Amino acid sequence: MADFEGSLHEVADAVISCKKEKVLEAVEKAKAELPPEEIIDKGLSAGMNQVGVLFERGKLFLPHVMMAADAMTAGVKLLEEGMPAGSREKKLGTIVNGTVEGDVHDIGKSIVSTMLQSAGFEVHDIGRDVPIRNFVQKAKETDADMIGISALMTTTLQGQREVIELLKEEGLRSRVKIMVGGAPATQAWADKIGADCYAENASEAVSKAKELLL
Amino acid sequence: MPISHIMASGMTGIRAAGDLVARMEFSKNMRIGEAKEYVAKKLNVDTMDLSDEHIMRELREELDIGVITSVPGAAKGIAAKMNIEKLLDIKINSCETFRAQIA
Amino acid sequence: MVTEYALRMGDGKRVFLTREKILSEIEAGSGNAADLGEIPDLSADEIDRLAEILMMPGKAVSVEQGMEVPVTHDIGTIRLDGDQGNSGVGIPSSRLVSCMTHERAFGADTMELGHIDYSFKPVKPVVANECQAMEVCQQNMIIPLFYGAMPNMGLYYTPDGPFENPGDLMKAFKIDKAKDSMEHAAEHLTRDTVWVMQKLFASGADGVNFDTTAAAGDADMYGTLNAVKTLRALYPEMYIEMGMAGEMVLGMHGELEYDGVRLAGLWPHEQAPLAATAGANVFGPVVNTNTSKTSAWNLARAVTFIKAAVEASSIPCHVNMGMGVGGIPMLETPPVDAVTRASKAMVEIAGVDGI
Repeated sequence: MADFEGSLHEVADAVISCKKEKVLEAVEKAKAELPPEEIIDKGLSAGMNQVGVLFERGKLFLPHVMMAADAMTAGVKLLEEGMPAGSREKKLGTIVNGTVEGDVHDIGKSIVSTMLQSAGFEVHDIGRDVPIRNFVQKAKETDADMIGISALMTTTLQGQREVIELLKEEGLRSRVKIMVGGAPATQAWADKIGADCYAENASEAVSKAKELLL
Repeated sequence: MPISHIMASGMTGIRAAGDLVARMEFSKNMRIGEAKEYVAKKLNVDTMDLSDEHIMRELREELDIGVITSVPGAAKGIAAKMNIEKLLDIKINSCETFRAQIA
Repeated sequence: MVTEYALRMGDGKRVFLTREKILSEIEAGSGNAADLGEIPDLSADEIDRLAEILMMPGKAVSVEQGMEVPVTHDIGTIRLDGDQGNSGVGIPSSRLVSCMTHERAFGADTMELGHIDYSFKPVKPVVANECQAMEVCQQNMIIPLFYGAMPNMGLYYTPDGPFENPGDLMKAFKIDKAKDSMEHAAEHLTRDTVWVMQKLFASGADGVNFDTTAAAGDADMYGTLNAVKTLRALYPEMYIEMGMAGEMVLGMHGELEYDGVRLAGLWPHEQAPLAATAGANVFGPVVNTNTSKTSAWNLARAVTFIKAAVEASSIPCHVNMGMGVGGIPMLETPPVDAVTRASKAMVEIAGVDGI
């Protein structure tokens, strides 16, 4: 269990319990003692990080992750009520996520989307078997900070390179980070095609997205 | 890759007695040690001999349970499996199906 | 100068490590498995033995004579004539040719007939074709011949199937609807696989191999376990192998149970007893390869997990050792040195009943 203290500990534990009422109760109590930014960062987010760890360890499951994320969002809203408009919590970043054209694998990519969303990113999951151009179009449309590209077959892996090439052609590469993943993808492949990062699993996708975007 | 595994760890199928040991694992849930002992007893050999191509080649031909080459008149396919049924005291589904078809 | 040994990274790239580094990688890999699975670490003797195997000078190594085990073949025929981007080398040949090549030229201990899509659901409209192929193959084959396919429950979700995609429902916080969708899909998965295998068994198949069970999470495993149970009740003589997709059952649903055990979050040593309870004859545990770690780390981790599964199991365990699992590098052409070392370690240290 993570080492949180006092009311922050209670907030984090409430998030891990995945119960909205408990989170709201703990946040209400913490509000009296600590600034909202600290409660969000060291209480709610810390709890959500622990939820991600417990998911990877098989102790919590996808519905719990969603319930915890929902509870965390409610906690953030409650704290924002007392914050000046300019200092309210913003999304960590906007990420377009999808599986390349010709590849119908959906589940791993969906888990990554869910975990990123739960961590506080605005995620646009554009599905599987997605034409290369759609990744770029969606990134433009949403002003995305990052594109996540999944591929589960060696034959479709090339699609990851093609998205990067199209981004370059469109002059967008410098302002959009690229994350690649999927069974045949590796760090060496990511380096070869000029991706910004490779993630082995969903929790690594969250930590690498944070590293690159925060 | 499968060939790497076969060379490193496999019982080499009908070159030796790998198919027979596998049949005991699958038909009777026998763990590897028990399956090897069962087959070895039925063949009247040591367990070590079950992966020995020199011993098994002659023995398989003698028992008429199938070899990798086309020995004239030797049992192949269903016929070889019918002999395996008797040897190991098990039923093999394709043999059962075949018998039902000719009955 | 300190001697360095040629090992591999999880993506297959060569890496040179000292004996001390190999030992520390083995300890770390084994420790990771022990921590996640709440199982014992490898003992000091086992760590030394694994290091010895990894440091052997030959390119190919093998088990000690007398320790050989049956090597079975998931995906079977598709390996030769298929070319799907993750397996198969695209040699134009019939499936009978592929089966007989494995039996007579490769020395396979069992073989498997499979459909090019390799999922049960798409077999339904072409089942007569599959039965015909099985009958022709069984007339000629001697080694056990399975029919194999993936439960692949994702095919029951939109846009491929009738039920709403639970991934989309989850992201929209419609958790109960997502769970309903998974439960419905699992029922259909059970029904379809049983139906397909009834036909194939009537055509002489020795049995069935459920390959990559739980790829779509706990509901996928639930549907597969129920299919195993139904088939076992119908056919006491059917050979049933249940192989997994990954090391841990992903909790997409989170509440499904089989025989009073929650399926989500189970590790290999917890999965094996359930496969046996459902009626499988052989269980195929999986441990994933981490491409960013060394073969010493990956193999130690895989051996630790599999050893625990072998000990917990009441039925034979045939460890999955294809591309990217069981300590094998994630590469279409896994290096022979890495494959044979992993093969030897799984037999001699983990004590598997087959591969």
